[in-house]
Amino acid sequence: MHTQVRNEVRNQAPALRSPAPSAVVVAGLRKSYGAVQAVRDVSFTVEDGEIFALLGPNGAGKTTTLEILEGFRTQDAGRVEVLGTDPGDRAAGRALREQMGLVLQDIAVEPYLTVRETLARNAGYYPAPRDVDEVIGLVGLTGQERRKVRALSGGQQRRLDLALGLIGDPRLLFLDEPTTGFDPNARRDAWQIVRNLRDAGTTIVLTTHYMDEAQALADRVAVMSGGRIVAEGTPSTIGGRDAAQARIRFVLPDGYTPADLPLPAQAGHGLVTVQTAEPTEALHQLTGWALRRGTVLDRLTVDRASLEDVYLRLTSGSGHDVPEPLTEGSTR
Amino acid sequence: MSTVAYPARRARRNDLALLWHQVRYEQLSFWRNPQNAIFTFAFPVVFIVILGALFRGGTGSSYFYGLSTMQYYVPTIAALSVLGSCYGQLAVMLAARRQNGILKRVRATPLPAWTYFLGLLAHCVMVSAVDVALIVGVGRLYGVPLPANWPAVVMALLLGAACFCALGVAVASVIRNSEAAPAVVQLILFPLVFISGTYMPIHSATLNQISGALPVRPFNEVLIGSFAQHSGLDWRNLGVLLAWGAVGAFVAIRRFRWDPRPE
Repeated sequence: MHTQVRNEVRNQAPALRSPAPSAVVVAGLRKSYGAVQAVRDVSFTVEDGEIFALLGPNGAGKTTTLEILEGFRTQDAGRVEVLGTDPGDRAAGRALREQMGLVLQDIAVEPYLTVRETLARNAGYYPAPRDVDEVIGLVGLTGQERRKVRALSGGQQRRLDLALGLIGDPRLLFLDEPTTGFDPNARRDAWQIVRNLRDAGTTIVLTTHYMDEAQALADRVAVMSGGRIVAEGTPSTIGGRDAAQARIRFVLPDGYTPADLPLPAQAGHGLVTVQTAEPTEALHQLTGWALRRGTVLDRLTVDRASLEDVYLRLTSGSGHDVPEPLTEGSTR
Repeated sequence: MSTVAYPARRARRNDLALLWHQVRYEQLSFWRNPQNAIFTFAFPVVFIVILGALFRGGTGSSYFYGLSTMQYYVPTIAALSVLGSCYGQLAVMLAARRQNGILKRVRATPLPAWTYFLGLLAHCVMVSAVDVALIVGVGRLYGVPLPANWPAVVMALLLGAACFCALGVAVASVIRNSEAAPAVVQLILFPLVFISGTYMPIHSATLNQISGALPVRPFNEVLIGSFAQHSGLDWRNLGVLLAWGAVGAFVAIRRFRWDPRPE
Protein backbone atom coordinates (compact mmCIF):
# COMPACT_ATOMS: atom_id res chain seq x y z
CA MET A 1 0.00 0.00 0.00
CA HIS A 2 2.48 2.62 1.12
CA THR A 3 5.49 0.55 0.40
CA GLN A 4 7.54 3.26 -1.15
CA VAL A 5 6.91 5.71 1.64
CA ARG A 6 7.61 3.13 4.27
CA ASN A 7 10.81 2.07 2.62
CA GLU A 8 11.92 5.66 2.45
CA VAL A 9 11.40 6.06 6.15
CA ARG A 10 13.20 2.86 6.93
CA ASN A 11 16.10 3.89 4.73
CA GLN A 12 16.34 7.27 6.38
CA ALA A 13 16.49 5.75 9.83
CA PRO A 14 18.02 2.31 9.59
CA ALA A 15 19.02 2.38 13.24
CA LEU A 16 15.38 2.44 14.25
CA ARG A 17 14.54 -0.71 12.35
CA SER A 18 15.32 -3.58 14.63
CA PRO A 19 15.77 -2.30 18.20
CA ALA A 20 12.73 0.01 18.22
CA PRO A 21 9.56 -1.50 16.82
CA SER A 22 7.02 0.89 15.36
CA ALA A 23 5.24 2.92 18.02
CA VAL A 24 1.90 2.57 16.25
CA VAL A 25 0.78 0.08 13.63
CA VAL A 26 -2.64 0.39 12.01
CA ALA A 27 -3.71 -2.07 9.33
CA GLY A 28 -7.03 -2.26 7.54
CA LEU A 29 -8.85 -0.24 10.19
CA ARG A 30 -12.61 0.18 9.79
CA LYS A 31 -15.22 1.83 11.98
CA SER A 32 -18.84 2.69 11.30
CA TYR A 33 -21.40 4.57 13.35
CA GLY A 34 -24.69 3.12 12.17
CA ALA A 35 -24.76 3.67 8.42
CA VAL A 36 -21.90 6.17 8.49
CA GLN A 37 -18.52 4.69 7.65
CA ALA A 38 -16.23 6.96 9.65
CA VAL A 39 -13.02 5.05 8.91
CA ARG A 40 -12.66 2.89 5.80
CA ASP A 41 -9.63 0.64 5.51
CA VAL A 42 -7.00 2.92 7.02
CA SER A 43 -3.42 1.69 7.37
CA PHE A 44 -0.34 3.53 8.56
CA THR A 45 2.70 3.10 10.75
CA VAL A 46 4.25 5.57 13.15
CA GLU A 47 7.92 5.01 13.83
CA ASP A 48 9.49 5.47 17.22
CA GLY A 49 10.57 9.07 17.80
CA GLU A 50 8.75 10.84 14.99
CA ILE A 51 5.93 13.37 14.81
CA PHE A 52 3.13 11.92 12.71
CA ALA A 53 0.18 14.11 11.68
CA LEU A 54 -3.25 13.03 10.56
CA LEU A 55 -4.36 15.98 8.48
CA GLY A 56 -7.88 16.40 7.19
CA PRO A 57 -11.08 18.40 7.32
CA ASN A 58 -13.67 17.96 10.08
CA GLY A 59 -15.44 14.64 9.73
CA ALA A 60 -12.59 12.98 7.84
CA GLY A 61 -12.24 10.27 10.50
CA LYS A 62 -9.14 11.62 12.26
CA THR A 63 -10.55 11.69 15.76
CA THR A 64 -12.23 8.30 15.38
CA THR A 65 -8.90 6.82 14.30
CA LEU A 66 -7.13 8.50 17.20
CA GLU A 67 -9.75 7.38 19.73
CA ILE A 68 -9.34 3.77 18.61
CA LEU A 69 -5.58 4.13 19.18
CA GLU A 70 -6.29 5.65 22.58
CA GLY A 71 -8.54 2.75 23.55
CA PHE A 72 -11.75 4.79 23.81
CA ARG A 73 -13.42 3.09 20.88
CA THR A 74 -13.16 -0.36 19.39
CA GLN A 75 -12.72 -0.96 15.70
CA ASP A 76 -15.12 -2.97 13.55
CA ALA A 77 -12.23 -4.51 11.63
CA GLY A 78 -8.49 -4.22 11.27
CA ARG A 79 -5.46 -4.51 13.48
CA VAL A 80 -4.17 -1.82 15.83
CA GLU A 81 -1.01 -1.97 17.88
CA VAL A 82 0.17 0.80 20.18
CA LEU A 83 3.61 0.32 21.78
CA GLY A 84 3.23 -3.34 20.94
CA THR A 85 -0.13 -3.65 22.72
CA ASP A 86 -3.74 -3.82 21.57
CA PRO A 87 -5.26 -0.62 23.01
CA GLY A 88 -8.69 -2.28 23.19
CA ASP A 89 -7.34 -4.79 25.72
CA ARG A 90 -8.40 -3.36 29.10
CA ALA A 91 -6.27 -5.83 31.06
CA ALA A 92 -3.13 -4.40 29.45
CA GLY A 93 -4.61 -0.91 29.52
CA ARG A 94 -2.99 0.27 32.70
CA ALA A 95 0.55 -0.58 31.62
CA LEU A 96 -0.11 1.03 28.24
CA ARG A 97 -1.56 4.19 29.77
CA GLU A 98 1.48 4.54 31.99
CA GLN A 99 3.54 5.04 28.84
CA MET A 100 1.03 7.07 26.89
CA GLY A 101 -0.06 10.71 27.20
CA LEU A 102 -3.40 11.88 25.82
CA VAL A 103 -4.58 15.38 25.09
CA LEU A 104 -8.19 15.20 24.01
CA GLN A 105 -10.02 17.63 21.82
CA ASP A 106 -12.24 19.20 24.48
CA ILE A 107 -10.89 20.89 27.56
CA ALA A 108 -11.95 19.03 30.68
CA VAL A 109 -10.29 19.94 33.93
CA GLU A 110 -11.85 20.00 37.35
CA PRO A 111 -12.54 23.60 38.25
CA TYR A 112 -11.79 23.85 41.95
CA LEU A 113 -8.25 22.53 42.25
CA THR A 114 -5.25 24.75 41.60
CA VAL A 115 -2.95 24.21 38.63
CA ARG A 116 -0.33 22.65 40.87
CA GLU A 117 -2.79 20.35 42.67
CA THR A 118 -4.31 19.16 39.41
CA LEU A 119 -0.89 18.16 38.10
CA ALA A 120 0.24 16.67 41.41
CA ARG A 121 -2.90 14.53 41.52
CA ASN A 122 -2.31 13.10 38.05
CA ALA A 123 1.42 12.72 38.66
CA GLY A 124 0.51 10.31 41.43
CA TYR A 125 -1.16 7.99 38.92
CA TYR A 126 2.12 7.24 37.11
CA PRO A 127 5.07 5.15 38.24
CA ALA A 128 7.69 7.63 37.00
CA PRO A 129 6.10 11.05 36.49
CA ARG A 130 7.91 14.20 35.47
CA ASP A 131 8.50 16.92 38.00
CA VAL A 132 5.34 19.01 38.45
CA ASP A 133 7.10 22.38 38.45
CA GLU A 134 9.17 21.43 35.44
CA VAL A 135 6.03 20.59 33.46
CA ILE A 136 4.37 23.83 34.59
CA GLY A 137 7.37 25.69 33.23
CA LEU A 138 7.37 23.66 30.03
CA VAL A 139 3.81 24.64 29.08
CA GLY A 140 4.29 28.26 30.18
CA LEU A 141 2.09 28.30 33.26
CA THR A 142 4.81 29.49 35.63
CA GLY A 143 3.29 32.00 38.04
CA GLN A 144 -0.16 30.41 37.76
CA GLU A 145 0.59 27.43 40.05
CA ARG A 146 -1.68 28.57 42.86
CA ARG A 147 -4.59 29.73 40.74
CA LYS A 148 -7.73 27.66 40.60
CA VAL A 149 -8.39 26.04 37.26
CA ARG A 150 -11.73 27.84 36.87
CA ALA A 151 -9.92 31.21 37.06
CA LEU A 152 -7.66 30.36 34.11
CA SER A 153 -8.34 31.63 30.60
CA GLY A 154 -9.34 29.14 27.92
CA GLY A 155 -5.82 29.15 26.49
CA GLN A 156 -4.32 28.55 29.92
CA GLN A 157 -6.70 25.65 30.53
CA ARG A 158 -5.58 24.17 27.23
CA ARG A 159 -1.95 24.47 28.40
CA LEU A 160 -2.91 22.70 31.60
CA ASP A 161 -4.54 19.99 29.52
CA LEU A 162 -1.29 19.58 27.60
CA ALA A 163 0.62 19.52 30.89
CA LEU A 164 -1.63 16.68 32.06
CA GLY A 165 -0.74 14.77 28.90
CA LEU A 166 2.97 15.21 29.68
CA ILE A 167 3.01 14.64 33.42
CA GLY A 168 3.45 10.86 33.17
CA ASP A 169 6.59 11.31 31.01
CA PRO A 170 5.01 9.37 28.13
CA ARG A 171 6.88 7.52 25.40
CA LEU A 172 3.98 8.21 23.09
CA LEU A 173 1.82 11.33 23.08
CA PHE A 174 -1.51 11.70 21.28
CA LEU A 175 -2.65 15.24 20.55
CA ASP A 176 -6.13 15.73 19.12
CA GLU A 177 -6.21 19.13 17.42
CA PRO A 178 -3.79 20.57 19.96
CA THR A 179 -3.86 24.21 18.86
CA THR A 180 -7.47 24.73 17.78
CA GLY A 181 -8.53 28.09 19.18
CA PHE A 182 -4.99 29.27 19.99
CA ASP A 183 -3.77 32.71 19.04
CA PRO A 184 -0.73 32.75 16.71
CA ASN A 185 1.80 33.23 19.50
CA ALA A 186 0.32 30.45 21.60
CA ARG A 187 0.39 28.15 18.56
CA ARG A 188 4.06 28.82 17.97
CA ASP A 189 4.80 28.17 21.65
CA ALA A 190 2.85 24.91 21.49
CA TRP A 191 4.70 23.84 18.35
CA GLN A 192 8.02 24.49 20.04
CA ILE A 193 6.94 22.38 23.02
CA VAL A 194 5.98 19.53 20.70
CA ARG A 195 9.28 19.75 18.81
CA ASN A 196 11.23 19.75 22.05
CA LEU A 197 9.36 16.65 23.18
CA ARG A 198 10.18 14.89 19.93
CA ASP A 199 13.81 15.91 20.26
CA ALA A 200 13.81 14.38 23.74
CA GLY A 201 12.60 11.09 22.27
CA THR A 202 8.81 11.20 22.58
CA THR A 203 6.80 9.81 19.67
CA ILE A 204 3.91 12.12 18.82
CA VAL A 205 0.72 11.43 16.89
CA LEU A 206 -1.43 14.46 16.29
CA THR A 207 -4.51 15.37 14.32
CA THR A 208 -4.99 18.76 12.79
CA HIS A 209 -6.98 20.53 10.14
CA TYR A 210 -4.34 23.21 9.80
CA MET A 211 -1.95 22.64 6.93
CA ASP A 212 0.62 25.01 8.36
CA GLU A 213 0.62 23.00 11.56
CA ALA A 214 1.33 19.75 9.73
CA GLN A 215 3.97 21.54 7.68
CA ALA A 216 5.65 23.09 10.69
CA LEU A 217 5.60 20.07 12.96
CA ALA A 218 5.24 16.74 11.27
CA ASP A 219 7.98 14.43 10.11
CA ARG A 220 5.30 12.57 8.19
CA VAL A 221 1.75 13.42 7.26
CA ALA A 222 -1.21 11.30 6.27
CA VAL A 223 -4.03 13.24 4.66
CA MET A 224 -7.46 11.83 5.52
CA SER A 225 -10.63 12.54 3.65
CA GLY A 226 -13.95 10.73 3.82
CA GLY A 227 -12.57 8.08 6.18
CA ARG A 228 -9.64 7.18 3.94
CA ILE A 229 -5.98 8.12 3.75
CA VAL A 230 -5.69 9.85 0.40
CA ALA A 231 -1.98 10.61 0.60
CA GLU A 232 0.93 9.93 2.88
CA GLY A 233 4.48 11.22 2.96
CA THR A 234 6.70 13.94 4.33
CA PRO A 235 5.28 17.47 4.26
CA SER A 236 7.67 18.38 1.44
CA THR A 237 6.90 15.43 -0.82
CA ILE A 238 3.26 14.67 -0.09
CA GLY A 239 0.87 14.69 -2.99
CA GLY A 240 3.77 14.98 -5.43
CA ARG A 241 4.73 18.43 -4.19
CA ASP A 242 8.38 17.81 -4.95
CA ALA A 243 7.62 16.73 -8.52
CA ALA A 244 5.36 19.70 -9.12
CA GLN A 245 6.62 22.58 -11.22
CA ALA A 246 8.00 25.65 -9.56
CA ARG A 247 6.18 28.96 -10.08
CA ILE A 248 8.11 32.15 -10.72
CA ARG A 249 5.96 35.25 -10.34
CA PHE A 250 6.71 38.94 -10.75
CA VAL A 251 5.24 42.21 -12.02
CA LEU A 252 5.75 42.67 -15.75
CA PRO A 253 7.93 45.78 -16.27
CA ASP A 254 6.16 48.73 -17.88
CA GLY A 255 6.16 48.73 -21.66
CA TYR A 256 6.55 44.97 -22.07
CA THR A 257 4.07 42.21 -22.84
CA PRO A 258 4.35 38.55 -21.75
CA ALA A 259 5.37 37.72 -25.31
CA ASP A 260 8.58 39.75 -24.81
CA LEU A 261 9.79 37.43 -22.06
CA PRO A 262 12.35 34.72 -22.90
CA LEU A 263 10.05 32.02 -21.46
CA PRO A 264 6.33 31.30 -21.86
CA ALA A 265 4.33 33.09 -19.19
CA GLN A 266 0.72 33.65 -18.16
CA ALA A 267 -0.58 36.97 -16.93
CA GLY A 268 -3.18 37.42 -14.22
CA HIS A 269 -3.85 39.28 -10.98
CA GLY A 270 -1.31 41.94 -11.97
CA LEU A 271 1.48 39.34 -12.01
CA VAL A 272 2.96 37.10 -14.63
CA THR A 273 3.63 33.47 -13.79
CA VAL A 274 6.26 31.22 -15.34
CA GLN A 275 5.87 27.50 -14.67
CA THR A 276 9.07 25.53 -14.84
CA ALA A 277 10.68 22.28 -13.83
CA GLU A 278 14.08 24.02 -13.80
CA PRO A 279 13.73 27.10 -11.63
CA THR A 280 17.48 27.86 -11.41
CA GLU A 281 17.85 28.01 -15.16
CA ALA A 282 14.58 29.91 -15.68
CA LEU A 283 15.39 32.47 -13.00
CA HIS A 284 18.77 33.10 -14.59
CA GLN A 285 17.18 33.71 -17.97
CA LEU A 286 14.51 36.00 -16.57
CA THR A 287 16.76 38.11 -14.37
CA GLY A 288 19.37 38.31 -17.17
CA TRP A 289 16.62 39.52 -19.51
CA ALA A 290 15.62 42.24 -17.04
CA LEU A 291 19.20 43.37 -16.33
CA ARG A 292 20.01 43.68 -20.00
CA ARG A 293 17.02 46.00 -20.37
CA GLY A 294 17.92 47.99 -17.24
CA THR A 295 14.64 47.14 -15.58
CA VAL A 296 13.57 45.15 -12.51
CA LEU A 297 11.26 42.21 -11.79
CA ASP A 298 9.19 43.73 -9.02
CA ARG A 299 7.69 41.43 -6.30
CA LEU A 300 9.67 38.47 -7.61
CA THR A 301 8.85 35.13 -5.89
CA VAL A 302 9.65 31.49 -6.53
CA ASP A 303 7.48 28.81 -4.94
CA ARG A 304 5.96 25.40 -5.36
CA ALA A 305 2.40 24.23 -4.91
CA SER A 306 1.90 24.88 -1.21
CA LEU A 307 0.82 22.13 1.12
CA GLU A 308 -2.45 23.99 1.19
CA ASP A 309 -2.85 23.63 -2.60
CA VAL A 310 -2.12 19.91 -2.30
CA TYR A 311 -4.44 19.51 0.65
CA LEU A 312 -7.33 21.30 -0.98
CA ARG A 313 -6.88 19.22 -4.10
CA LEU A 314 -6.70 15.96 -2.12
CA THR A 315 -9.62 16.63 0.17
CA SER A 316 -12.02 18.21 -2.28
CA GLY A 317 -14.80 15.67 -2.70
CA SER A 318 -15.44 13.86 -5.93
CA GLY A 319 -17.36 15.96 -8.43
CA HIS A 320 -14.96 18.87 -8.02
CA ASP A 321 -11.68 19.19 -9.84
CA VAL A 322 -10.35 15.91 -11.05
CA PRO A 323 -7.22 15.35 -8.97
CA GLU A 324 -3.97 15.42 -10.87
CA PRO A 325 -2.08 12.17 -10.83
CA LEU A 326 -0.05 11.91 -7.66
CA THR A 327 3.36 10.49 -7.10
CA GLU A 328 3.24 6.75 -7.36
CA GLY A 329 3.38 5.00 -4.02
CA SER A 330 2.28 7.94 -1.96
CA THR A 331 -1.40 7.55 -2.78
CA ARG A 332 -4.03 4.93 -2.86
CA MET B 1 14.56 15.20 31.43
CA SER B 2 13.32 12.25 29.42
CA THR B 3 15.82 10.33 27.40
CA VAL B 4 15.67 8.50 24.11
CA ALA B 5 16.46 5.16 25.66
CA TYR B 6 13.71 4.49 28.15
CA PRO B 7 14.76 2.75 31.31
CA ALA B 8 12.71 -0.13 32.58
CA ARG B 9 9.48 1.12 34.10
CA ARG B 10 9.76 2.01 37.72
CA ALA B 11 7.60 0.15 40.19
CA ARG B 12 4.09 1.40 40.74
CA ARG B 13 3.16 2.74 44.12
CA ASN B 14 1.15 0.20 46.02
CA ASP B 15 -2.63 0.05 45.66
CA LEU B 16 -3.41 1.41 49.10
CA ALA B 17 -1.09 4.38 48.68
CA LEU B 18 -2.71 5.12 45.33
CA LEU B 19 -6.17 4.85 46.88
CA TRP B 20 -5.17 7.23 49.67
CA HIS B 21 -3.80 9.65 47.07
CA GLN B 22 -7.11 9.53 45.18
CA VAL B 23 -9.22 9.93 48.34
CA ARG B 24 -7.19 12.98 49.38
CA TYR B 25 -7.64 14.75 46.05
CA GLU B 26 -11.32 13.83 45.83
CA GLN B 27 -11.74 15.42 49.27
CA LEU B 28 -9.71 18.44 48.24
CA SER B 29 -11.92 19.13 45.22
CA PHE B 30 -15.03 18.75 47.38
CA TRP B 31 -13.90 21.13 50.11
CA ARG B 32 -12.64 23.64 47.57
CA ASN B 33 -16.25 24.30 46.60
CA PRO B 34 -17.58 25.55 49.94
CA GLN B 35 -21.04 26.39 48.62
CA ASN B 36 -21.55 22.82 47.57
CA ALA B 37 -20.12 21.55 50.85
CA ILE B 38 -22.41 23.74 52.95
CA PHE B 39 -25.49 22.70 51.00
CA THR B 40 -24.56 19.05 51.30
CA PHE B 41 -24.42 19.26 55.07
CA ALA B 42 -27.14 21.85 55.66
CA PHE B 43 -29.99 19.96 54.01
CA PRO B 44 -30.45 17.11 56.52
CA VAL B 45 -29.75 19.45 59.47
CA VAL B 46 -32.44 21.90 58.37
CA PHE B 47 -34.77 18.98 57.88
CA ILE B 48 -34.29 17.46 61.32
CA VAL B 49 -34.49 20.91 62.98
CA ILE B 50 -37.86 21.54 61.32
CA LEU B 51 -39.21 18.14 62.29
CA GLY B 52 -38.01 18.72 65.84
CA ALA B 53 -39.68 22.13 65.95
CA LEU B 54 -42.92 20.58 64.66
CA PHE B 55 -43.10 17.62 66.97
CA ARG B 56 -40.89 18.58 69.90
CA GLY B 57 -39.82 15.45 71.74
CA GLY B 58 -43.24 13.83 71.68
CA THR B 59 -43.95 10.82 73.80
CA GLY B 60 -43.89 7.24 72.70
CA SER B 61 -46.90 6.26 70.61
CA SER B 62 -47.96 3.12 68.83
CA TYR B 63 -48.08 5.16 65.60
CA PHE B 64 -44.30 5.50 65.91
CA TYR B 65 -43.85 1.87 66.99
CA GLY B 66 -43.60 2.91 70.63
CA LEU B 67 -40.84 5.43 69.93
CA SER B 68 -40.99 9.15 70.49
CA THR B 69 -41.47 11.16 67.30
CA MET B 70 -37.87 12.31 67.21
CA GLN B 71 -36.55 8.89 68.12
CA TYR B 72 -38.23 7.77 64.92
CA TYR B 73 -37.07 10.68 62.76
CA VAL B 74 -33.40 10.72 63.76
CA PRO B 75 -32.71 7.33 62.11
CA THR B 76 -35.02 7.88 59.10
CA ILE B 77 -33.56 11.30 58.34
CA ALA B 78 -30.08 9.83 58.86
CA ALA B 79 -31.04 7.23 56.25
CA LEU B 80 -32.33 10.00 53.98
CA SER B 81 -29.02 11.86 54.25
CA VAL B 82 -27.15 8.70 53.24
CA LEU B 83 -29.50 8.31 50.29
CA GLY B 84 -28.98 11.92 49.32
CA SER B 85 -25.20 11.87 49.44
CA CYS B 86 -24.57 8.34 48.17
CA TYR B 87 -27.32 7.78 45.68
CA GLY B 88 -28.53 11.24 44.71
CA GLN B 89 -25.41 13.39 44.68
CA LEU B 90 -23.20 10.65 43.31
CA ALA B 91 -25.51 10.00 40.34
CA VAL B 92 -25.78 13.70 39.54
CA MET B 93 -22.06 14.29 39.99
CA LEU B 94 -21.06 11.36 37.78
CA ALA B 95 -23.51 12.36 35.05
CA ALA B 96 -22.09 15.89 35.11
CA ARG B 97 -18.47 14.69 35.15
CA ARG B 98 -19.19 12.45 32.21
CA GLN B 99 -20.95 15.17 30.25
CA ASN B 100 -18.13 17.68 30.64
CA GLY B 101 -15.48 15.13 29.75
CA ILE B 102 -13.81 14.76 33.14
CA LEU B 103 -14.53 11.02 33.31
CA LYS B 104 -12.99 10.51 29.89
CA ARG B 105 -9.95 12.39 31.13
CA VAL B 106 -9.74 10.04 34.13
CA ARG B 107 -9.97 7.09 31.74
CA ALA B 108 -7.01 8.52 29.81
CA THR B 109 -4.77 8.04 32.85
CA PRO B 110 -3.54 4.73 34.27
CA LEU B 111 -5.70 5.19 37.39
CA PRO B 112 -7.61 1.90 37.78
CA ALA B 113 -11.40 2.27 37.66
CA TRP B 114 -11.84 0.57 41.03
CA THR B 115 -9.52 3.10 42.67
CA TYR B 116 -11.51 5.95 41.20
CA PHE B 117 -14.78 4.49 42.46
CA LEU B 118 -13.41 3.64 45.89
CA GLY B 119 -12.26 7.26 46.12
CA LEU B 120 -15.82 8.33 45.44
CA LEU B 121 -17.21 5.78 47.90
CA ALA B 122 -14.88 7.07 50.59
CA HIS B 123 -16.09 10.57 49.85
CA CYS B 124 -19.74 9.52 50.14
CA VAL B 125 -19.06 7.67 53.40
CA MET B 126 -17.35 10.78 54.76
CA VAL B 127 -20.30 13.00 53.85
CA SER B 128 -22.75 10.45 55.29
CA ALA B 129 -20.78 10.20 58.53
CA VAL B 130 -20.76 13.99 58.97
CA ASP B 131 -24.48 14.17 58.13
CA VAL B 132 -25.40 11.42 60.58
CA ALA B 133 -23.28 12.99 63.33
CA LEU B 134 -25.02 16.35 62.78
CA ILE B 135 -28.44 14.71 62.81
CA VAL B 136 -27.68 12.77 66.00
CA GLY B 137 -26.37 16.00 67.51
CA VAL B 138 -29.56 17.91 66.70
CA GLY B 139 -31.56 14.91 67.97
CA ARG B 140 -29.76 15.22 71.32
CA LEU B 141 -31.01 18.82 71.56
CA TYR B 142 -34.55 17.45 71.29
CA GLY B 143 -33.81 14.86 73.93
CA VAL B 144 -33.23 11.87 71.71
CA PRO B 145 -30.77 9.50 73.40
CA LEU B 146 -27.57 8.55 71.59
CA PRO B 147 -27.77 5.41 69.44
CA ALA B 148 -28.14 2.26 71.47
CA ASN B 149 -25.83 0.02 69.48
CA TRP B 150 -22.91 1.96 67.95
CA PRO B 151 -21.14 -0.92 66.17
CA ALA B 152 -24.44 -1.92 64.53
CA VAL B 153 -25.03 1.73 63.52
CA VAL B 154 -21.56 2.00 61.95
CA MET B 155 -21.91 -1.32 60.10
CA ALA B 156 -25.39 -0.42 58.86
CA LEU B 157 -24.22 2.99 57.64
CA LEU B 158 -21.20 1.56 55.83
CA LEU B 159 -23.16 -1.19 54.11
CA GLY B 160 -26.00 1.20 53.29
CA ALA B 161 -23.58 3.77 51.87
CA ALA B 162 -21.93 1.13 49.68
CA CYS B 163 -25.28 -0.15 48.38
CA PHE B 164 -26.68 3.29 47.62
CA CYS B 165 -23.41 4.32 45.97
CA ALA B 166 -23.69 1.27 43.71
CA LEU B 167 -27.27 2.27 42.90
CA GLY B 168 -26.15 5.86 42.28
CA VAL B 169 -23.49 4.70 39.80
CA ALA B 170 -26.08 2.42 38.17
CA VAL B 171 -28.52 5.30 37.68
CA ALA B 172 -25.69 7.48 36.35
CA SER B 173 -24.93 4.68 33.89
CA VAL B 174 -28.46 4.69 32.57
CA ILE B 175 -28.89 8.48 32.36
CA ARG B 176 -27.49 9.86 29.13
CA ASN B 177 -27.77 13.55 29.70
CA SER B 178 -26.56 15.41 32.76
CA GLU B 179 -29.32 18.04 32.68
CA ALA B 180 -31.87 15.27 33.13
CA ALA B 181 -29.93 13.69 35.99
CA PRO B 182 -31.39 15.61 38.97
CA ALA B 183 -34.95 15.07 37.69
CA VAL B 184 -34.45 11.33 37.13
CA VAL B 185 -32.78 10.95 40.51
CA GLN B 186 -35.65 12.74 42.30
CA LEU B 187 -38.32 10.91 40.32
CA ILE B 188 -36.97 7.61 41.62
CA LEU B 189 -36.12 8.80 45.11
CA PHE B 190 -39.14 10.84 46.17
CA PRO B 191 -41.93 8.22 45.87
CA LEU B 192 -39.61 5.56 47.21
CA VAL B 193 -38.78 7.59 50.30
CA PHE B 194 -42.44 8.42 50.80
CA ILE B 195 -43.75 4.85 50.75
CA SER B 196 -40.81 3.65 52.82
CA GLY B 197 -41.87 5.51 55.95
CA THR B 198 -39.12 8.13 55.97
CA TYR B 199 -41.48 11.06 56.53
CA MET B 200 -44.22 9.20 58.40
CA PRO B 201 -44.73 5.64 59.56
CA ILE B 202 -46.72 3.58 57.06
CA HIS B 203 -49.22 1.16 58.52
CA SER B 204 -50.51 -0.36 55.30
CA ALA B 205 -49.51 -4.02 55.09
CA THR B 206 -49.67 -4.09 51.28
CA LEU B 207 -47.57 -0.97 50.91
CA ASN B 208 -45.07 -2.26 53.46
CA GLN B 209 -44.78 -5.52 51.60
CA ILE B 210 -43.94 -3.66 48.41
CA SER B 211 -41.59 -1.12 50.01
CA GLY B 212 -40.00 -3.90 52.08
CA ALA B 213 -38.71 -5.45 48.88
CA LEU B 214 -37.27 -2.11 47.68
CA PRO B 215 -34.04 -0.72 49.14
CA VAL B 216 -35.15 2.28 51.25
CA ARG B 217 -37.53 0.74 53.80
CA PRO B 218 -35.12 -2.06 54.77
CA PHE B 219 -32.41 0.57 55.35
CA ASN B 220 -34.81 2.66 57.48
CA GLU B 221 -35.68 -0.39 59.55
CA VAL B 222 -32.07 -1.41 60.05
CA LEU B 223 -31.25 2.09 61.28
CA ILE B 224 -34.33 2.42 63.49
CA GLY B 225 -33.40 -0.91 65.03
CA SER B 226 -29.78 -0.08 65.73
CA PHE B 227 -30.43 3.56 66.72
CA ALA B 228 -33.45 3.22 68.96
CA GLN B 229 -34.47 -0.35 69.61
CA HIS B 230 -31.24 -1.76 71.02
CA SER B 231 -31.40 -4.49 68.42
CA GLY B 232 -28.27 -5.76 66.70
CA LEU B 233 -28.03 -5.84 62.93
CA ASP B 234 -31.25 -6.80 61.24
CA TRP B 235 -29.81 -9.29 58.75
CA ARG B 236 -33.08 -9.98 56.93
CA ASN B 237 -33.44 -6.31 56.00
CA LEU B 238 -29.71 -5.95 55.37
CA GLY B 239 -29.99 -8.90 52.99
CA VAL B 240 -32.58 -7.05 50.90
CA LEU B 241 -30.39 -3.94 50.90
CA LEU B 242 -27.26 -5.89 49.91
CA ALA B 243 -29.17 -7.61 47.11
CA TRP B 244 -30.10 -4.19 45.73
CA GLY B 245 -26.49 -3.09 46.10
CA ALA B 246 -25.43 -6.13 44.08
CA VAL B 247 -27.98 -5.29 41.37
CA GLY B 248 -26.68 -1.73 41.30
CA ALA B 249 -23.07 -2.90 41.07
CA PHE B 250 -23.97 -5.32 38.27
CA VAL B 251 -25.71 -2.62 36.21
CA ALA B 252 -22.88 -0.18 36.96
CA ILE B 253 -20.18 -2.60 35.82
CA ARG B 254 -22.08 -3.58 32.69
CA ARG B 255 -23.37 -0.21 31.63
CA PHE B 256 -21.08 2.49 32.99
CA ARG B 257 -19.73 4.83 30.30
CA TRP B 258 -16.81 7.20 30.61
CA ASP B 259 -17.29 8.86 27.28
CA PRO B 260 -19.79 11.72 26.85
CA ARG B 261 -20.44 10.53 23.31
CA PRO B 262 -20.87 6.79 23.62
CA GLU B 263 -20.68 4.66 20.50
